[in-house]
Amino acid sequence: MIGQVLGHYHVVSKIGEGGMGAVYRAHDEVLHRDVALKVVSKSAGLDESASQNLLQEARASSALSHPNICTIHEVGETNGELYIVMELVEGQSLRSLIGDTGLAVESILRYGVQIANALGRAHDRGIIHRDLKSANVVVTSDGLVKVLDFGLAKRVGRGIFEGSTRSFETVQDASMLSGTLPYMAPEVLRGEAADYRSDLWALGVVLYEAASGRLPFEGRTGFEISSAIMREMPKPLGPPVPPGLWAIIQRCLAKEPMQRYQRAGEVQAALEAVQSSAVISAEPGGDRSGPRTTVLHNVQHIHVRKGDFLLLVGTTKGAFVLRSNSQRTRWEVGGPYFHGHAVYAMAYDQRDGQHRLWASTQSYWGTLLRSSDDFGKSWTNPQEAPIRFPADTGVSLKNIWQICLGRPEEPNLLYCGVEPAALFESRDAGESWSLVRGLFDHPHRPRWMPGNGGLALHTIVLDPGNAQRMYVAISAGGVYRTDDGGGTWTAQNRGIRVMFMPSKYPEFGQCVHKIAMHPARPERLFLQNHWGLYRSDDYAENWKDIANGVPSDFGFAVVMHPKNPDCVYIVPVDSDEFRCTCEGRLRVYRTRNAGASWEPLMRGLPQKRAYETVLRDAMTADPLDPVGIYFGTRSGQLYGSTDEGRTWKKILDGLPSVVCVKSAAVGDPSVFREPKPPQEATATSSRSRRSTGKSTSRKGKG
Amino acid sequence: MSVTFHIPGALREFTEGRTKVEMEASPKVVGDALKALWTRYPGIRDRIATEQGEIRQHINVFVGNEEIRYTGGLATPIPPGSEISIVSAVSGGGARPRGPYTRSPTRLPPDDGPTRT
Repeated sequence: MIGQVLGHYHVVSKIGEGGMGAVYRAHDEVLHRDVALKVVSKSAGLDESASQNLLQEARASSALSHPNICTIHEVGETNGELYIVMELVEGQSLRSLIGDTGLAVESILRYGVQIANALGRAHDRGIIHRDLKSANVVVTSDGLVKVLDFGLAKRVGRGIFEGSTRSFETVQDASMLSGTLPYMAPEVLRGEAADYRSDLWALGVVLYEAASGRLPFEGRTGFEISSAIMREMPKPLGPPVPPGLWAIIQRCLAKEPMQRYQRAGEVQAALEAVQSSAVISAEPGGDRSGPRTTVLHNVQHIHVRKGDFLLLVGTTKGAFVLRSNSQRTRWEVGGPYFHGHAVYAMAYDQRDGQHRLWASTQSYWGTLLRSSDDFGKSWTNPQEAPIRFPADTGVSLKNIWQICLGRPEEPNLLYCGVEPAALFESRDAGESWSLVRGLFDHPHRPRWMPGNGGLALHTIVLDPGNAQRMYVAISAGGVYRTDDGGGTWTAQNRGIRVMFMPSKYPEFGQCVHKIAMHPARPERLFLQNHWGLYRSDDYAENWKDIANGVPSDFGFAVVMHPKNPDCVYIVPVDSDEFRCTCEGRLRVYRTRNAGASWEPLMRGLPQKRAYETVLRDAMTADPLDPVGIYFGTRSGQLYGSTDEGRTWKKILDGLPSVVCVKSAAVGDPSVFREPKPPQEATATSSRSRRSTGKSTSRKGKG
Repeated sequence: MSVTFHIPGALREFTEGRTKVEMEASPKVVGDALKALWTRYPGIRDRIATEQGEIRQHINVFVGNEEIRYTGGLATPIPPGSEISIVSAVSGGGARPRGPYTRSPTRLPPDDGPTRT
């Protein structure tokens, strides 16, 4: 072949041998440039129709113009030989760079982003690679990645069985299969058509290979490899592979395509987020830009670094993520995410080194639990709703009211409280969910009644010291506790008043609006009821009225001071008929003696014609020093205090109705230190103003 | 004779951007046509039906110009060449009008679940 002329290409030297035939360096006699010339071997077994298909595919791929895609200049046929003329890329294959030990994390991320970018462009043009592997990726001397052979793998053929016994060869079946076995997705092995997500699987294999120097699914024969791909989980990758990268690889390697990322852009954004968290582990304050890619369009994104502080704000028409530093004075606003969807629950999960935002979305099109690993740039949009009632229940999910992370020592555990009232749990970090039957089958359940917001399980409280104990609150069902990890539940409402039933103190049926616990005092809980403010000092066995000096004991939110177990914040509203702040004055009330007295906090808050409502999950505290308190209102205003409630500032207004506010400090475990002992914590809070609350009569007291 | 679905913008993410999806099969009733649709595009199912197989409250399915709640629900027959539109309701301002709707089957067999491809 060397020295011959194909078309107007003069073959200069042989570069290598590929699955389809030999690749040569050639000189374009017309344009005077060097090119790569792939001559498809006759032994590749192409019949006339397959040749035409290959030509067609190559022509389609030649329309791809992207810096990370090796350009196809021309395809042709001469003297019965099929040839493909490509950009000559000089560099090393990723396979050879990886070697036996893998690459540095920084390189994996840099190359991974570029490969994902290339896939994204091709997928947007309707072209699937079908044979992505490390040998098909070349890295040039200046670090530029070029993905080779887009779309060329299809219909090039030998039999699958021959291929599957040659584990590292490209295997093909003329009609169905194409690709290289260790990189093939399970659905392709099942004989289903490859789609974009099959390429994302292959990307996961390449990332795994780059991270470890090994393939995720290995075997001595093709059968063993196929079997591993279909059934086995890859061996987990630990340090130095960051958990965020491992999470991305795992998601790419989900056996079911619908459990994977759905777009290459999502993988790219997630990799860039890990790059930015590599920034997180670098020196704080360094001038490093955050993630670049925006997967969501017409949406503002935030750039997050270590030590940043986040507010997650769910509204009836979408979610917002606000970023600030520890001073909490200036805010960058991300969003709105999920245009028009109600977001009643949000959470930030940084257990086990991850940085995952969770949000529930509700619209006419159903209710979904969604997550983002890149601080909101891209969100999962699962094809199948992850949380669903089993068929035998006859019940359909209406909304997700609460997302509760498991204890730090249980990083894969998550709970969701939903409407109609039920508890779901996930033991695999949100991949799959199951209904907690012990509560759903409780004999009280048929007699729970919907409150104004629906029959919702809206609050989940875990005992930090007892992995078997947790509490839930249901409107209107009351408080339930389990002491055996969810198997059995007991109603815990002794002493809680019910205004809307003939018996004022029934065993259950209370319309509990919120409960809160301080981790240092797990035996003590505070409770805001639909009329009534309570405290229990005995694990919710008995409840005492503590509405001493509040303008109304009707309200929704109750928030613990994170460092002082005697300090609690509420926002009373006038009554159940008039769910607005009393006398049009927006006031937060605080107790610093566990409810013996309450003081109004109003400096900076409107005290005239402020008929506001703060809903049950729309207030939160932060763990910083001094502690911050934040709340959003039904009229779409967001207020914050960075001095434990002494003074307030408006952070945002003009939002849709706020239904959820959560806070998080990013990547700095020091702010999550163990709560101080009560005495010390009291001393801390004594810097604040003493109670000036004046006792007034309570409305609706029975 | 094929059946054509008109896909609303909110669902095109799951139909590779297609605004219309033509089904080669000739389903006899709406329920069968929908199943064929989400066999091809699994993400559609949970958007228009609950996990118990009921068309979601605020989602309307039209055969031609007729909303199926008034024409037999999921058992609504589909004449050859029909066009089926999936539309989210303009909601608010009161309950749905009563009528044949309450007698029409709008529930699919509950054990179906989304069809995996």
